[in-house]
Amino acid sequence: MSIWLAIGGAGLATYLVRLAPLVMTLRRPAPAAVTRYLDALPIAIIAALTGPAIVLPNGVPTMGPEPVGAIVALVIVRWRRNLLAGVLGGVVAVALLRLAL
Amino acid sequence: MNAAARLALVEGWPILLTTAVVGTTFGVTARQSGLELTEISGMSLVIFAGASQFVAVELLRNGAAVPAVILAAFLINLRHLLMATALRPRFAARSFAERLGLAYILTDEAFAMGVGWYRRGRGTVTSYAVFGTALWLAWNLATVAGALVSDRIAEPRRLGVDFAITASFLSIVALAVRGRTDVAIALIAAGASAALALSGASVVAVIGAGALAPLATFVLPRARP
Repeated sequence: MSIWLAIGGAGLATYLVRLAPLVMTLRRPAPAAVTRYLDALPIAIIAALTGPAIVLPNGVPTMGPEPVGAIVALVIVRWRRNLLAGVLGGVVAVALLRLAL
Repeated sequence: MNAAARLALVEGWPILLTTAVVGTTFGVTARQSGLELTEISGMSLVIFAGASQFVAVELLRNGAAVPAVILAAFLINLRHLLMATALRPRFAARSFAERLGLAYILTDEAFAMGVGWYRRGRGTVTSYAVFGTALWLAWNLATVAGALVSDRIAEPRRLGVDFAITASFLSIVALAVRGRTDVAIALIAAGASAALALSGASVVAVIGAGALAPLATFVLPRARP
């Protein structure tokens, strides 16, 4: 029973966090500084998601496959201008390095 | 299938595949931690947020109190508050009921792909919705599959598959940056979240770095178009 309370509570907390900014109404237009901050926000969040995944994959610190795979993905995607090429390049690099190490 | 929906699957399939693998891992882990199939599936349906589900299972296995499980999920998923805030202008024209659904399928992956498409002038809310729904299906089906085969499977995360989501996020950022200020903000955010995670503050790493890095926009020169 307490497991279902935990699941329900965690689910509700998660959903409200995702929903609140989408349904709240603003009384007046946001100030210019807020708009500028919000413009810079998406890239910052996506980049922030990658940091721990590169240096601490699955919770274990590494200087090995993941940091190298990240560089490979970045180089390929800047060169080919193609999302899938970057993803596959990074995955193949990590796979090869994990086999080798 | 229309172009917006096709785009979601053509560019999103590596993330969908990885989500299925990680979802299977979650089902296996949760089952081996003593949770029932209904509880595991219920968790994926009700919470639908990978990292916090793994943490919830670990906490429940160690006999944590209900409020601790809820607080952990809240803190880990607080970053979605930033994501929903960033998506707000894109979803503003949608009906209230549609926004209820768009919020339910808001995950790191759906957010990142959606922003990537918007930044490149491709894709629409439909691309986000199709991709988010496909992710939801992959996660929930994989969770059940993992829970069902848990006694016959070892660690399913093999080779480089789990790196596909990180590689997708990196590629999205690399294609989305416009000018040096964007690059600087991305480097600050990634560096700060990595440093926070390494120093033991994993729970607040993403939200802390994600919320602070955009402040650099006020001290760096504006990006020239």
